[in-house]
Amino acid sequence: MTGVSFLLAIAAGLFAAGLFGVLARRTILMQLISLEIMLAGPALAFVAAGAHHGMVEGTAMFLIVLALAAAEVALGLAIYLQLRRHAGDGDADAARQLRG
Amino acid sequence: MLAYLLLLVPTPPLAGFVLLALDPYRLDRRAVRAAAIVAGCAPLAVIAPMAIAHLTGLWGDQIAPIFTLYVGSYEVALAVGLDTLSAVTALTVAFVSACVMIYALDYMSGARNADLRRFFALMNLFQAGMLSMVLAADSITFFLGWELMGLCSFFLISYNMTSPRAFAAGQKAFVITRIADAALLAGLLLLFLEAGSVRLSELIPAGAAIDTARGPLIAALLLIGAMGKSAQFPFHTWLPTAMAGPTPVSALLHSATMVAAGAVLLARFAPVMAANDGVAAATAIAGVVTALFGAASAVAQTDVKRLLAYSSISQIGYMLIAVGVGAPAVAMAHFVVHALFKSLLFMASGVLSHAGAGGTSIAALRGTARRAPIAFASFAAGAASLAGLPLVTAGWWSKEAILASAFEASWLGLAVWAVGLTAAALTAVYAFRPVFTALRAPETETPRGRESWLAVGPLVVLAVLALAGGLGVKPLTELLGGHPPHPALWVELAGASAALLGIAGSAALTFVPALADRVARARRLRAGLQMDARYYALLVRPYRRLVRRLSGGRGEWVERVVGRGRGAQGLERELEGAVRHARQPEGASSDPVGQATVVLGLWIWRALLLPFSPDRMDMAWMWGARGIGRAAERARRLQTGRVRDYALALAFGLAALLLIGWGMTWR
Repeated sequence: MTGVSFLLAIAAGLFAAGLFGVLARRTILMQLISLEIMLAGPALAFVAAGAHHGMVEGTAMFLIVLALAAAEVALGLAIYLQLRRHAGDGDADAARQLRG
Repeated sequence: MLAYLLLLVPTPPLAGFVLLALDPYRLDRRAVRAAAIVAGCAPLAVIAPMAIAHLTGLWGDQIAPIFTLYVGSYEVALAVGLDTLSAVTALTVAFVSACVMIYALDYMSGARNADLRRFFALMNLFQAGMLSMVLAADSITFFLGWELMGLCSFFLISYNMTSPRAFAAGQKAFVITRIADAALLAGLLLLFLEAGSVRLSELIPAGAAIDTARGPLIAALLLIGAMGKSAQFPFHTWLPTAMAGPTPVSALLHSATMVAAGAVLLARFAPVMAANDGVAAATAIAGVVTALFGAASAVAQTDVKRLLAYSSISQIGYMLIAVGVGAPAVAMAHFVVHALFKSLLFMASGVLSHAGAGGTSIAALRGTARRAPIAFASFAAGAASLAGLPLVTAGWWSKEAILASAFEASWLGLAVWAVGLTAAALTAVYAFRPVFTALRAPETETPRGRESWLAVGPLVVLAVLALAGGLGVKPLTELLGGHPPHPALWVELAGASAALLGIAGSAALTFVPALADRVARARRLRAGLQMDARYYALLVRPYRRLVRRLSGGRGEWVERVVGRGRGAQGLERELEGAVRHARQPEGASSDPVGQATVVLGLWIWRALLLPFSPDRMDMAWMWGARGIGRAAERARRLQTGRVRDYALALAFGLAALLLIGWGMTWR
């Protein structure tokens, strides 16, 4: 397995692990961490692809992903705090008022 | 911009219809009559100056586009226009309908079942339809007006809603004209595909230029459409029964204008007809067969309205002859003259039957000549015009022009001329039968009745025109772009002698008792060759049999058990009431006979009605409807409200998208 395919496989693995975390964990804090892992996967893929093609855009995309992750964490933590305040704990399944 | 004034012609009757139909102000009878008459006469006031300006050459052909839409290479352009044909027909229609409306004011006020609002609303709608049809410059407006007339005809025939006969007559007229209208629609659509435009100015030349098999097909479809609307043989059966409508309706719709619309259609599309020799010959043959058949049937009639109905059928046959032999201008001249004298005949016969012993049978007219002399005189004038009394009546000039055109056309025309001449003699026979009957002394002497000027005024005007209009036939033919025929003297003499011979025959039929008896016994001829019975045997009964077979005999059974007009539900409800009564303790034990009927009823209900009461089709539909509810119930469960489930759905969606994307790059 050459370098770039290996890195892309790791990226896919990171994404899948993160997705599993989001689906399997009920604690919001853990789900946020899993989301971070999910973001890390594509970020790694961008960097690897940029390095493989010798282009700087891959690294630039990584910076954008970083900024996106920061924004997402800020939003996610705000939601987490609100839920703690209203529902009393960090269980994501407890907040299901949208049920049909 | 002046062309847009044309829109003002059909608008007033349409506004009258809207006002009367919606009736926002709870109009009283006087207001209804005022609104109807203003709306009914306004088109004449608008069209008369325009048509006269056009016919005298002051004002050229006009076209007023209403709406245009381009779809690819096709053009849908709605417009009204004024050319010679539409000027002549619109003027005739507006004039005759104004006369009929004035007459209807008086006639309908005396009618027993007088829902004036509905009557005048529909009459106004009819006027709007007919005027927009004759003024149409595109096939869509033309067809809309055509269908609007068919609809009004249905409603007005069934105007007397308490009479099942009127209802059946309306239904019959609707179904039969619908069959022909479908053919017309198909023809117009095919023509549209050929021309790529709905404008008549492009449609007609394009239709005439087709040299494939489509040309005759289109022409034949148009001919069928015209024959249905004009009640030509074999579509004629609806017209005599349509006389169940009020007399003004018969005068306007079922004789003078609407049924003649078929002739207008053929005259409008005359180039298409002329381009297809076979169809043109078929038109002439259909016309002459109908002319002879209508005249022969009319001779045997005992009811004056039915007599006039067959006479309309026969006269429109003459118009078809003219179109078929390539003289549409002559056909239109006859259209104008026929509209004048036929509306006159109907309205005068209405006055005469009111003055007579009541009823519309010819025998009841005895002695009415003395009771209503003005109406009788105008009826006689109309009958003379219909019979074609030589030189002094308009009918003679236009009918002679048709026969002479046929005579000059070809060898086929010669045969058509000979048969048409026979029909003309028969026309004179039936036309004068009511006149001679009215002259006979009445069985009981009654004083002269009062004739309202509202009813008689239009009669006198029309009578004068029906006699003197002959002067206009030749100029009218030339205006319409035709060539008035110049037949040999002996041809004209033959025409004249046919009419005179017919009048003599009519007198014989009326005053010689033996002959009158024979007419009274000619039941077969009176029933119009019993085409109704044949249609029933050929079409209606097999259809009903098919329905019965498909429904497994259920429809028929329920009909027989429950009886007509009462649904299964009504009976069920009644039986349930009886059952409830029988279950009461004293009701059940005290009366064994009563109990037996209830038990029998219950048994019938259970055995015969219960199996049908939820209809199979209904159940299938309801199953579908409930299925949607069940599906919604299931779909609801998808909305769990849990973020993780939504995330899973997102993940599946993404995976699916990726798979699709991957599949797309696969070669």
